[in-house]
Amino acid sequence: MSLTSRTQTTLAYAVLVTLAVLVLFPFYWMTITSFKSEDQMRSLLSMFWPRPIVIENYGQLLSKTDFVAWYGNSATVAICSTLLATAVGTIGAYALARLRFLGRGFLASATLITYLVPPSILFIPLYAQMRNLGLANSLAGLIAAYPSFTVPFVTWLLMGYFESIPEELEEAAMIDGATRFGAFARVVLPLAAPGVLAAALYAFTQAWNEFLYALVFITDGRLRTLPVGLASFITGDVYGWGYLMAGAVLTTLPVIAAYIYLQKYMVEGLTAGGVKG
Amino acid sequence: MAVGAAQVGAKAGLNGRVRGGLKRVLGPDHRMGYLFVTPIFFFVLSLVGYPFCYAIYLSMTHKLVGLPPVFVGFENYVRLTWDGFFQRAVVNSFIFTFGSVGFKLVLGVVMALVLMSPIRWRSFWTGVLLIPWVAPTVVSALNFLWIFDGSLGVLNYLLVRVFHVLPQGIGWLSEPGTAMASVVAVNIWRGFPFFGISFLAAMKAIPAELYEAAAVDGATTLQRFRHVTLPGIRNIMIIVVLLSTIWTFNDFQIVYILTKGGPGGTTMVMPVLTYETAFGAQRLGEAIAVALYLLPVLAVTIMVLARYMRRGRKR
Repeated sequence: MSLTSRTQTTLAYAVLVTLAVLVLFPFYWMTITSFKSEDQMRSLLSMFWPRPIVIENYGQLLSKTDFVAWYGNSATVAICSTLLATAVGTIGAYALARLRFLGRGFLASATLITYLVPPSILFIPLYAQMRNLGLANSLAGLIAAYPSFTVPFVTWLLMGYFESIPEELEEAAMIDGATRFGAFARVVLPLAAPGVLAAALYAFTQAWNEFLYALVFITDGRLRTLPVGLASFITGDVYGWGYLMAGAVLTTLPVIAAYIYLQKYMVEGLTAGGVKG
Repeated sequence: MAVGAAQVGAKAGLNGRVRGGLKRVLGPDHRMGYLFVTPIFFFVLSLVGYPFCYAIYLSMTHKLVGLPPVFVGFENYVRLTWDGFFQRAVVNSFIFTFGSVGFKLVLGVVMALVLMSPIRWRSFWTGVLLIPWVAPTVVSALNFLWIFDGSLGVLNYLLVRVFHVLPQGIGWLSEPGTAMASVVAVNIWRGFPFFGISFLAAMKAIPAELYEAAAVDGATTLQRFRHVTLPGIRNIMIIVVLLSTIWTFNDFQIVYILTKGGPGGTTMVMPVLTYETAFGAQRLGEAIAVALYLLPVLAVTIMVLARYMRRGRKR
Protein backbone atom coordinates (compact mmCIF):
# COMPACT_ATOMS: atom_id res chain seq x y z
CA MET A 1 0.00 0.00 0.00
CA SER A 2 1.42 3.36 -0.92
CA LEU A 3 0.17 6.48 0.78
CA THR A 4 -0.84 9.22 -1.61
CA SER A 5 1.31 12.30 -1.35
CA ARG A 6 -1.63 14.38 -0.15
CA THR A 7 -2.38 12.09 2.77
CA GLN A 8 1.32 12.10 3.57
CA THR A 9 1.51 15.87 3.66
CA THR A 10 -1.63 16.17 5.79
CA LEU A 11 -0.21 13.60 8.19
CA ALA A 12 3.10 15.47 8.29
CA TYR A 13 1.34 18.72 9.24
CA ALA A 14 -0.70 16.95 11.93
CA VAL A 15 2.45 15.51 13.48
CA LEU A 16 4.30 18.84 13.18
CA VAL A 17 1.55 20.76 14.93
CA THR A 18 1.33 18.16 17.72
CA LEU A 19 5.10 18.23 18.29
CA ALA A 20 5.17 22.03 18.13
CA VAL A 21 2.41 22.28 20.77
CA LEU A 22 4.26 19.84 23.05
CA VAL A 23 7.51 21.74 22.56
CA LEU A 24 6.10 25.23 23.03
CA PHE A 25 3.54 24.63 25.76
CA PRO A 26 6.02 24.72 28.69
CA PHE A 27 7.40 28.06 27.42
CA TYR A 28 3.91 29.49 26.94
CA TRP A 29 3.03 28.31 30.42
CA MET A 30 6.19 29.78 31.92
CA THR A 31 5.50 33.14 30.27
CA ILE A 32 1.85 33.49 31.28
CA THR A 33 2.61 32.30 34.82
CA SER A 34 5.15 35.09 35.14
CA PHE A 35 2.33 37.60 34.47
CA LYS A 36 -0.15 36.12 36.97
CA SER A 37 -0.75 37.24 40.51
CA GLU A 38 -0.54 34.82 43.43
CA ASP A 39 -4.38 34.93 43.70
CA GLN A 40 -4.89 34.04 40.07
CA MET A 41 -2.67 30.99 40.51
CA ARG A 42 -4.22 29.82 43.78
CA SER A 43 -7.80 30.18 42.57
CA LEU A 44 -7.15 28.43 39.23
CA LEU A 45 -8.95 31.35 37.56
CA SER A 46 -7.98 32.87 34.21
CA MET A 47 -5.94 29.74 33.71
CA PHE A 48 -4.70 30.12 30.13
CA TRP A 49 -4.48 33.90 29.86
CA PRO A 50 -3.79 36.13 32.86
CA ARG A 51 -6.61 38.65 33.51
CA PRO A 52 -5.44 41.16 34.50
CA ILE A 53 -1.83 40.94 33.40
CA VAL A 54 0.37 41.81 36.37
CA ILE A 55 4.06 42.65 36.34
CA GLU A 56 4.65 42.59 40.09
CA ASN A 57 6.53 39.28 39.76
CA TYR A 58 9.20 40.98 37.72
CA GLY A 59 9.40 43.86 40.14
CA GLN A 60 9.80 41.50 43.08
CA LEU A 61 12.38 39.41 41.24
CA LEU A 62 14.53 42.40 40.39
CA SER A 63 14.25 44.22 43.69
CA LYS A 64 13.95 41.54 46.38
CA THR A 65 16.26 38.79 45.14
CA ASP A 66 19.86 38.60 43.92
CA PHE A 67 18.63 37.97 40.39
CA VAL A 68 20.40 40.98 38.87
CA ALA A 69 23.70 39.92 40.43
CA TRP A 70 23.20 36.38 39.11
CA TYR A 71 22.55 37.75 35.65
CA GLY A 72 25.84 39.60 35.76
CA ASN A 73 27.64 36.50 37.06
CA SER A 74 26.23 34.31 34.31
CA ALA A 75 27.11 36.85 31.64
CA THR A 76 30.67 37.24 32.96
CA VAL A 77 31.28 33.51 33.18
CA ALA A 78 29.66 32.66 29.85
CA ILE A 79 31.37 35.45 27.89
CA CYS A 80 34.84 34.87 29.35
CA SER A 81 34.74 31.10 28.93
CA THR A 82 33.33 31.45 25.40
CA LEU A 83 36.12 33.78 24.30
CA LEU A 84 38.70 31.49 25.85
CA ALA A 85 37.26 28.31 24.32
CA THR A 86 36.77 29.85 20.90
CA ALA A 87 40.33 31.18 20.70
CA VAL A 88 41.91 27.97 21.95
CA GLY A 89 39.56 25.74 19.96
CA THR A 90 39.97 27.61 16.68
CA ILE A 91 43.76 27.43 16.45
CA GLY A 92 43.78 23.93 17.92
CA ALA A 93 41.18 22.65 15.48
CA TYR A 94 43.09 24.16 12.57
CA ALA A 95 46.28 22.41 13.66
CA LEU A 96 44.51 19.09 14.19
CA ALA A 97 42.63 19.30 10.91
CA ARG A 98 45.33 20.58 8.61
CA LEU A 99 48.90 20.72 9.92
CA ARG A 100 51.18 17.70 9.71
CA PHE A 101 53.07 16.91 12.89
CA LEU A 102 53.85 13.95 15.09
CA GLY A 103 51.07 13.09 17.55
CA ARG A 104 48.29 14.85 15.70
CA GLY A 105 46.06 11.77 15.39
CA PHE A 106 46.55 10.90 19.02
CA LEU A 107 45.68 14.41 20.17
CA ALA A 108 42.61 14.54 17.94
CA SER A 109 41.35 11.30 19.48
CA ALA A 110 42.16 12.52 22.97
CA THR A 111 40.17 15.71 22.38
CA LEU A 112 37.17 13.76 21.15
CA ILE A 113 37.32 11.34 24.08
CA THR A 114 37.58 14.29 26.46
CA TYR A 115 34.40 15.72 24.95
CA LEU A 116 32.65 12.45 25.81
CA VAL A 117 33.79 12.17 29.45
CA PRO A 118 30.72 13.19 31.50
CA PRO A 119 30.87 16.01 34.08
CA SER A 120 29.27 13.69 36.65
CA ILE A 121 32.61 11.91 37.12
CA LEU A 122 34.71 15.07 36.98
CA PHE A 123 32.90 17.47 39.27
CA ILE A 124 34.32 16.23 42.58
CA PRO A 125 38.02 16.09 41.58
CA LEU A 126 37.64 19.40 39.72
CA TYR A 127 36.13 20.94 42.83
CA ALA A 128 39.06 19.64 44.90
CA GLN A 129 41.47 21.06 42.33
CA MET A 130 39.79 24.48 42.35
CA ARG A 131 39.88 24.54 46.13
CA ASN A 132 43.60 23.80 46.13
CA LEU A 133 44.12 26.64 43.67
CA GLY A 134 42.05 28.96 45.84
CA LEU A 135 39.44 29.30 43.09
CA ALA A 136 36.52 27.60 44.86
CA ASN A 137 33.52 29.86 45.47
CA SER A 138 34.62 32.34 42.80
CA LEU A 139 33.56 33.11 39.25
CA ALA A 140 37.19 32.65 38.21
CA GLY A 141 36.87 28.99 39.26
CA LEU A 142 33.93 28.52 36.90
CA ILE A 143 35.69 30.35 34.07
CA ALA A 144 38.66 28.04 34.63
CA ALA A 145 36.51 24.89 34.74
CA TYR A 146 34.13 25.46 31.83
CA PRO A 147 36.80 24.91 29.16
CA SER A 148 36.69 21.24 30.26
CA PHE A 149 33.59 20.89 28.08
CA THR A 150 33.65 23.97 25.81
CA VAL A 151 37.20 23.50 24.47
CA PRO A 152 36.79 19.88 23.29
CA PHE A 153 33.38 20.70 21.84
CA VAL A 154 34.52 23.78 19.91
CA THR A 155 37.63 21.95 18.71
CA TRP A 156 35.71 18.94 17.49
CA LEU A 157 33.10 21.10 15.76
CA LEU A 158 35.67 23.30 14.01
CA MET A 159 37.89 20.40 12.96
CA GLY A 160 35.03 19.30 10.74
CA TYR A 161 34.62 22.84 9.48
CA PHE A 162 38.30 23.28 8.57
CA GLU A 163 38.39 19.89 6.88
CA SER A 164 35.56 21.02 4.60
CA ILE A 165 37.57 24.04 3.36
CA PRO A 166 39.58 23.06 0.25
CA GLU A 167 43.28 22.71 1.00
CA GLU A 168 44.17 24.13 -2.45
CA LEU A 169 43.22 27.64 -1.28
CA GLU A 170 45.99 27.65 1.31
CA GLU A 171 48.46 26.07 -1.08
CA ALA A 172 47.72 28.77 -3.64
CA ALA A 173 48.26 31.47 -1.01
CA MET A 174 51.58 29.91 -0.01
CA ILE A 175 52.75 29.66 -3.60
CA ASP A 176 52.00 33.38 -3.81
CA GLY A 177 54.41 33.88 -0.95
CA ALA A 178 52.22 33.74 2.15
CA THR A 179 53.59 31.92 5.19
CA ARG A 180 51.69 29.01 6.68
CA PHE A 181 50.45 31.36 9.39
CA GLY A 182 49.53 34.02 6.85
CA ALA A 183 47.53 31.50 4.86
CA PHE A 184 45.69 30.51 8.02
CA ALA A 185 45.00 34.06 9.18
CA ARG A 186 44.10 35.66 5.85
CA VAL A 187 42.59 32.82 3.81
CA VAL A 188 41.22 30.09 6.05
CA LEU A 189 40.01 32.07 9.04
CA PRO A 190 37.71 34.43 7.08
CA LEU A 191 36.20 31.42 5.29
CA ALA A 192 35.66 29.65 8.59
CA ALA A 193 34.02 32.68 10.23
CA PRO A 194 30.45 31.26 10.13
CA GLY A 195 31.68 28.03 11.72
CA VAL A 196 33.61 29.91 14.39
CA LEU A 197 30.51 31.99 15.12
CA ALA A 198 28.33 28.88 15.45
CA ALA A 199 30.90 27.23 17.70
CA ALA A 200 31.14 30.35 19.87
CA LEU A 201 27.36 30.50 20.20
CA TYR A 202 27.19 26.89 21.25
CA ALA A 203 29.97 27.37 23.74
CA PHE A 204 28.10 30.39 25.10
CA THR A 205 24.85 28.44 25.38
CA GLN A 206 26.57 25.55 27.14
CA ALA A 207 28.29 27.87 29.60
CA TRP A 208 25.09 29.90 30.17
CA ASN A 209 23.11 26.71 30.85
CA GLU A 210 25.70 24.86 32.95
CA PHE A 211 24.39 23.70 36.30
CA LEU A 212 26.42 21.03 38.09
CA TYR A 213 29.80 22.77 38.42
CA ALA A 214 28.12 26.05 39.36
CA LEU A 215 26.04 24.27 42.00
CA VAL A 216 29.06 22.57 43.54
CA PHE A 217 31.75 25.26 43.25
CA ILE A 218 29.77 28.29 44.43
CA THR A 219 28.64 28.54 48.04
CA ASP A 220 28.09 32.29 48.32
CA GLY A 221 24.47 33.15 47.43
CA ARG A 222 25.34 36.32 45.53
CA LEU A 223 27.97 34.58 43.41
CA ARG A 224 25.51 32.07 41.96
CA THR A 225 24.90 31.82 38.25
CA LEU A 226 21.36 32.02 36.86
CA PRO A 227 20.53 28.29 36.66
CA VAL A 228 21.68 27.64 40.22
CA GLY A 229 20.06 30.84 41.46
CA LEU A 230 16.72 29.92 39.89
CA ALA A 231 16.89 26.41 41.29
CA SER A 232 17.60 27.87 44.74
CA PHE A 233 14.13 29.47 44.67
CA ILE A 234 12.51 26.05 45.04
CA THR A 235 14.33 25.29 48.26
CA GLY A 236 14.60 28.78 49.73
CA ASP A 237 12.24 30.21 52.28
CA VAL A 238 10.78 32.77 49.88
CA TYR A 239 8.81 30.68 47.48
CA GLY A 240 6.57 31.67 44.62
CA TRP A 241 5.94 30.36 41.15
CA GLY A 242 5.26 33.84 39.82
CA TYR A 243 8.71 35.30 40.21
CA LEU A 244 10.39 31.94 39.68
CA MET A 245 8.79 31.85 36.23
CA ALA A 246 9.65 35.53 35.67
CA GLY A 247 13.27 34.57 36.33
CA ALA A 248 12.94 31.59 33.99
CA VAL A 249 11.68 33.88 31.21
CA LEU A 250 14.57 36.31 31.63
CA THR A 251 17.09 33.44 31.75
CA THR A 252 15.77 31.89 28.55
CA LEU A 253 15.55 35.14 26.58
CA PRO A 254 19.21 35.69 25.59
CA VAL A 255 19.66 32.09 24.49
CA ILE A 256 16.48 32.01 22.44
CA ALA A 257 17.15 35.46 20.97
CA ALA A 258 20.63 34.44 19.83
CA TYR A 259 19.19 31.23 18.50
CA ILE A 260 16.40 32.85 16.47
CA TYR A 261 18.79 35.43 15.07
CA LEU A 262 21.42 32.89 14.07
CA GLN A 263 19.35 29.77 13.60
CA LYS A 264 20.83 28.93 10.23
CA TYR A 265 24.41 28.86 11.48
CA MET A 266 23.53 27.02 14.64
CA VAL A 267 21.56 24.28 12.92
CA GLU A 268 24.38 23.81 10.42
CA GLY A 269 26.94 23.88 13.20
CA LEU A 270 25.06 21.31 15.21
CA THR A 271 24.77 18.87 12.35
CA ALA A 272 28.37 19.41 11.33
CA GLY A 273 29.79 19.18 14.81
CA GLY A 274 27.81 16.67 16.82
CA VAL A 275 27.73 14.15 14.06
CA LYS A 276 28.46 14.20 10.41
CA GLY A 277 27.84 11.23 8.18
CA MET B 1 56.73 20.84 1.47
CA ALA B 2 59.40 18.12 1.23
CA VAL B 3 61.20 20.22 -1.37
CA GLY B 4 61.06 23.22 0.95
CA ALA B 5 62.61 21.22 3.77
CA ALA B 6 65.46 20.02 1.53
CA GLN B 7 66.21 23.56 0.38
CA VAL B 8 66.35 24.86 3.91
CA GLY B 9 68.70 21.99 4.81
CA ALA B 10 71.05 22.66 1.88
CA LYS B 11 71.24 26.38 2.54
CA ALA B 12 71.86 26.38 6.24
CA GLY B 13 74.44 23.60 6.47
CA LEU B 14 74.77 21.47 9.59
CA ASN B 15 72.29 23.41 11.68
CA GLY B 16 69.79 23.14 8.85
CA ARG B 17 70.40 19.42 8.43
CA VAL B 18 69.51 18.84 12.07
CA ARG B 19 66.37 20.88 11.57
CA GLY B 20 65.57 18.90 8.42
CA GLY B 21 65.87 15.69 10.45
CA LEU B 22 63.56 17.11 13.07
CA LYS B 23 61.12 17.98 10.34
CA ARG B 24 61.16 14.43 9.10
CA VAL B 25 60.48 13.01 12.57
CA LEU B 26 58.06 15.61 13.89
CA GLY B 27 56.36 16.42 10.60
CA PRO B 28 56.68 19.37 8.21
CA ASP B 29 54.39 21.72 10.18
CA HIS B 30 55.49 20.76 13.66
CA ARG B 31 56.42 24.25 14.89
CA MET B 32 53.10 25.91 14.17
CA GLY B 33 51.32 22.64 14.96
CA TYR B 34 52.70 22.31 18.47
CA LEU B 35 52.27 26.01 19.11
CA PHE B 36 48.60 25.81 18.14
CA VAL B 37 47.73 22.67 20.08
CA THR B 38 49.58 23.58 23.28
CA PRO B 39 46.57 25.38 24.82
CA ILE B 40 44.23 22.47 24.03
CA PHE B 41 46.77 20.05 25.41
CA PHE B 42 47.00 22.11 28.58
CA PHE B 43 43.21 22.26 29.07
CA VAL B 44 42.61 18.61 28.27
CA LEU B 45 45.35 17.52 30.63
CA SER B 46 44.59 19.85 33.54
CA LEU B 47 40.78 19.85 33.37
CA VAL B 48 40.02 16.29 32.30
CA GLY B 49 43.12 14.06 32.33
CA TYR B 50 44.43 14.95 35.77
CA PRO B 51 41.03 15.17 37.54
CA PHE B 52 40.08 11.84 36.01
CA CYS B 53 43.18 10.12 37.41
CA TYR B 54 42.70 11.88 40.74
CA ALA B 55 39.09 10.62 40.77
CA ILE B 56 40.26 7.03 40.34
CA TYR B 57 42.68 7.48 43.23
CA LEU B 58 40.07 9.16 45.48
CA SER B 59 37.58 6.39 44.80
CA MET B 60 40.03 4.03 46.52
CA THR B 61 40.21 6.11 49.68
CA HIS B 62 38.15 7.08 52.65
CA LYS B 63 37.96 10.81 52.12
CA LEU B 64 35.95 13.09 54.33
CA VAL B 65 35.63 16.76 53.44
CA GLY B 66 38.53 18.69 54.96
CA LEU B 67 40.55 15.60 55.98
CA PRO B 68 43.37 13.89 54.06
CA PRO B 69 42.39 10.75 52.13
CA VAL B 70 43.17 7.29 53.58
CA PHE B 71 43.93 4.61 51.00
CA VAL B 72 41.62 1.58 51.27
CA GLY B 73 41.93 -0.15 47.89
CA PHE B 74 38.68 -1.43 46.42
CA GLU B 75 36.75 -1.27 49.69
CA ASN B 76 34.33 1.42 48.49
CA TYR B 77 33.47 -0.58 45.38
CA VAL B 78 33.00 -3.81 47.34
CA ARG B 79 30.77 -2.10 49.88
CA LEU B 80 28.65 -0.48 47.15
CA THR B 81 28.17 -3.82 45.40
CA TRP B 82 26.20 -5.13 48.39
CA ASP B 83 24.43 -1.86 49.20
CA GLY B 84 20.74 -2.19 48.37
CA PHE B 85 20.22 1.54 47.87
CA PHE B 86 23.10 1.72 45.41
CA GLN B 87 21.82 -1.36 43.56
CA ARG B 88 18.47 0.34 43.15
CA ALA B 89 20.15 3.48 41.83
CA VAL B 90 21.93 1.39 39.19
CA VAL B 91 18.66 -0.23 38.12
CA ASN B 92 16.93 3.19 38.11
CA SER B 93 19.70 4.65 35.97
CA PHE B 94 19.24 1.93 33.39
CA ILE B 95 15.44 2.36 33.36
CA PHE B 96 15.82 6.14 33.08
CA THR B 97 18.41 5.86 30.30
CA PHE B 98 16.90 3.18 28.11
CA GLY B 99 13.35 4.43 28.59
CA SER B 100 14.43 7.91 27.51
CA VAL B 101 16.74 6.92 24.66
CA GLY B 102 14.18 4.49 23.17
CA PHE B 103 11.47 7.13 22.94
CA LYS B 104 13.90 9.81 21.77
CA LEU B 105 14.97 7.52 18.95
CA VAL B 106 11.40 6.93 17.76
CA LEU B 107 10.40 10.60 18.11
CA GLY B 108 13.61 11.69 16.40
CA VAL B 109 12.89 9.52 13.37
CA VAL B 110 9.32 10.85 13.26
CA MET B 111 10.56 14.45 13.50
CA ALA B 112 13.10 13.94 10.71
CA LEU B 113 10.51 12.23 8.48
CA VAL B 114 7.95 15.02 8.81
CA LEU B 115 10.60 17.65 8.21
CA MET B 116 11.65 15.79 5.05
CA SER B 117 8.11 15.78 3.63
CA PRO B 118 7.01 18.54 1.27
CA ILE B 119 5.92 21.18 3.80
CA ARG B 120 5.97 24.96 3.84
CA TRP B 121 8.23 26.96 6.18
CA ARG B 122 10.52 24.02 6.78
CA SER B 123 13.21 26.05 8.52
CA PHE B 124 10.58 27.66 10.75
CA TRP B 125 9.31 24.25 11.89
CA THR B 126 12.86 22.98 12.34
CA GLY B 127 13.65 26.03 14.45
CA VAL B 128 10.60 25.58 16.66
CA LEU B 129 11.22 21.88 17.26
CA LEU B 130 14.84 22.54 18.25
CA ILE B 131 13.95 24.95 21.04
CA PRO B 132 14.01 22.39 23.90
CA TRP B 133 17.56 21.54 22.90
CA VAL B 134 18.86 25.12 23.13
CA ALA B 135 16.81 26.35 26.10
CA PRO B 136 18.53 26.08 29.50
CA THR B 137 17.77 22.64 30.94
CA VAL B 138 17.26 24.05 34.41
CA VAL B 139 14.54 26.34 33.08
CA SER B 140 12.82 23.45 31.34
CA ALA B 141 13.03 21.30 34.45
CA LEU B 142 11.55 24.11 36.56
CA ASN B 143 8.77 24.58 34.00
CA PHE B 144 7.85 20.93 34.28
CA LEU B 145 8.10 21.02 38.06
CA TRP B 146 5.36 23.66 37.92
CA ILE B 147 3.35 21.90 35.21
CA PHE B 148 3.43 18.60 37.18
CA ASP B 149 2.55 20.30 40.48
CA GLY B 150 0.01 18.17 42.35
CA SER B 151 -2.42 20.87 43.45
CA LEU B 152 -1.97 23.88 41.16
CA GLY B 153 -0.27 22.27 38.18
CA VAL B 154 -1.75 22.72 34.73
CA LEU B 155 -1.40 19.05 33.77
CA ASN B 156 -3.87 17.99 36.42
CA TYR B 157 -6.11 20.95 35.52
CA LEU B 158 -6.20 19.82 31.89
CA LEU B 159 -6.75 16.14 32.66
CA VAL B 160 -9.34 16.64 35.41
CA ARG B 161 -11.26 19.83 34.58
CA VAL B 162 -10.84 20.30 30.84
CA PHE B 163 -10.70 16.82 29.34
CA HIS B 164 -12.25 14.87 32.26
CA VAL B 165 -9.84 11.98 31.79
CA LEU B 166 -9.00 11.67 35.48
CA PRO B 167 -11.43 11.89 38.41
CA GLN B 168 -8.82 13.72 40.52
CA GLY B 169 -5.34 15.13 40.28
CA ILE B 170 -2.15 13.08 40.58
CA GLY B 171 1.02 14.11 42.38
CA TRP B 172 3.07 13.25 39.31
CA LEU B 173 6.45 13.70 40.95
CA SER B 174 5.51 12.80 44.51
CA GLU B 175 3.90 9.41 43.93
CA PRO B 176 6.18 6.39 43.45
CA GLY B 177 4.04 5.06 40.60
CA THR B 178 4.39 8.09 38.32
CA ALA B 179 7.65 9.80 39.36
CA MET B 180 9.99 7.80 37.13
CA ALA B 181 7.72 8.08 34.09
CA SER B 182 7.49 11.84 34.66
CA VAL B 183 11.25 12.47 34.80
CA VAL B 184 11.74 10.21 31.77
CA ALA B 185 9.10 12.25 29.90
CA VAL B 186 10.98 15.48 30.61
CA ASN B 187 14.25 13.95 29.45
CA ILE B 188 12.60 12.79 26.22
CA TRP B 189 11.08 16.23 25.69
CA ARG B 190 14.48 17.87 26.04
CA GLY B 191 16.50 15.35 24.05
CA PHE B 192 14.45 14.25 21.04
CA PRO B 193 15.17 17.35 18.89
CA PHE B 194 18.87 16.45 18.77
CA PHE B 195 17.95 13.03 17.38
CA GLY B 196 15.59 14.62 14.89
CA ILE B 197 18.01 17.23 13.56
CA SER B 198 20.82 14.69 13.23
CA PHE B 199 18.63 12.21 11.36
CA LEU B 200 17.32 15.03 9.17
CA ALA B 201 20.88 15.89 8.11
CA ALA B 202 21.56 12.24 7.32
CA MET B 203 18.32 11.86 5.35
CA LYS B 204 19.10 14.94 3.28
CA ALA B 205 22.39 13.31 2.30
CA ILE B 206 20.68 10.23 0.81
CA PRO B 207 20.79 10.59 -3.01
CA ALA B 208 17.35 11.20 -4.54
CA GLU B 209 18.12 8.63 -7.26
CA LEU B 210 17.90 5.88 -4.67
CA TYR B 211 14.30 6.83 -3.89
CA GLU B 212 13.48 7.19 -7.57
CA ALA B 213 14.94 3.78 -8.34
CA ALA B 214 12.95 2.26 -5.50
CA ALA B 215 9.79 3.93 -6.76
CA VAL B 216 10.42 2.60 -10.29
CA ASP B 217 10.77 -0.88 -8.82
CA GLY B 218 7.34 -0.41 -7.25
CA ALA B 219 8.44 -0.12 -3.62
CA THR B 220 5.76 1.02 -1.16
CA THR B 221 6.30 3.93 1.25
CA LEU B 222 7.14 1.51 4.04
CA GLN B 223 9.54 -0.49 1.87
CA ARG B 224 11.33 2.68 0.80
CA PHE B 225 11.70 3.66 4.45
CA ARG B 226 13.06 0.25 5.40
CA HIS B 227 15.39 -0.30 2.47
CA VAL B 228 16.53 3.21 1.56
CA THR B 229 16.03 5.60 4.49
CA LEU B 230 17.03 3.36 7.38
CA PRO B 231 20.28 2.08 5.84
CA GLY B 232 21.11 5.67 4.87
CA ILE B 233 20.89 6.96 8.44
CA ARG B 234 22.21 3.83 10.16
CA ASN B 235 25.63 5.23 11.04
CA ILE B 236 24.26 8.46 12.46
CA MET B 237 21.68 6.48 14.39
CA ILE B 238 24.42 4.48 16.09
CA ILE B 239 26.38 7.63 16.91
CA VAL B 240 23.38 9.56 18.23
CA VAL B 241 22.08 6.65 20.30
CA LEU B 242 25.49 6.07 21.93
CA LEU B 243 26.01 9.80 22.49
CA SER B 244 22.58 10.18 24.05
CA THR B 245 23.07 7.05 26.16
CA ILE B 246 26.18 8.59 27.73
CA TRP B 247 24.50 11.97 28.23
CA THR B 248 21.28 10.52 29.63
CA PHE B 249 23.02 8.10 31.94
CA ASN B 250 24.94 11.03 33.39
CA ASP B 251 22.11 13.53 33.40
CA PHE B 252 21.97 15.27 36.74
CA GLN B 253 19.91 18.42 36.44
CA ILE B 254 16.53 17.05 35.40
CA VAL B 255 16.24 14.48 38.16
CA TYR B 256 17.90 16.74 40.75
CA ILE B 257 15.45 19.57 40.12
CA LEU B 258 12.31 17.49 39.68
CA THR B 259 12.60 14.89 42.46
CA LYS B 260 16.11 14.89 44.02
CA GLY B 261 15.83 11.10 43.63
CA GLY B 262 12.56 10.79 45.57
CA PRO B 263 9.94 9.79 46.47
CA GLY B 264 11.60 7.09 48.58
CA GLY B 265 14.47 6.62 46.14
CA THR B 266 12.22 5.63 43.21
CA THR B 267 13.99 8.05 40.86
CA MET B 268 17.43 7.97 42.50
CA VAL B 269 19.88 7.72 39.61
CA MET B 270 23.65 7.40 39.89
CA PRO B 271 24.69 11.04 39.25
CA VAL B 272 22.25 12.32 41.89
CA LEU B 273 23.45 9.65 44.32
CA THR B 274 27.04 10.75 43.64
CA TYR B 275 26.12 14.33 44.48
CA GLU B 276 24.14 13.38 47.60
CA THR B 277 26.92 11.09 48.88
CA ALA B 278 29.52 13.80 48.32
CA PHE B 279 27.74 16.91 49.55
CA GLY B 280 24.94 15.48 51.68
CA ALA B 281 26.78 12.67 53.45
CA GLN B 282 30.23 14.30 52.89
CA ARG B 283 31.81 10.97 51.92
CA LEU B 284 33.86 11.97 48.89
CA GLY B 285 35.71 8.69 48.28
CA GLU B 286 32.51 6.69 48.24
CA ALA B 287 30.79 9.32 46.10
CA ILE B 288 33.42 9.03 43.39
CA ALA B 289 33.21 5.25 43.59
CA VAL B 290 29.49 5.62 42.78
CA ALA B 291 30.35 7.78 39.77
CA LEU B 292 33.10 5.46 38.56
CA TYR B 293 31.41 2.15 39.34
CA LEU B 294 30.38 1.54 35.74
CA LEU B 295 33.56 3.05 34.27
CA PRO B 296 34.45 -0.08 32.24
CA VAL B 297 31.08 0.09 30.51
CA LEU B 298 31.43 3.84 29.95
CA ALA B 299 34.97 3.44 28.62
CA VAL B 300 33.93 0.80 26.09
CA THR B 301 30.96 2.94 24.99
CA ILE B 302 33.21 5.99 24.55
CA MET B 303 35.80 4.01 22.56
CA VAL B 304 33.20 2.56 20.21
CA LEU B 305 31.50 5.94 19.82
CA ALA B 306 34.77 7.81 19.21
CA ARG B 307 35.65 5.32 16.49
CA TYR B 308 32.28 5.83 14.77
CA MET B 309 32.52 9.60 15.05
CA ARG B 310 36.01 9.73 13.56
CA ARG B 311 35.01 7.37 10.78
CA GLY B 312 31.94 9.49 10.05
CA ARG B 313 34.27 12.47 9.62
CA LYS B 314 36.71 10.76 7.29
CA ARG B 315 34.15 9.81 4.64
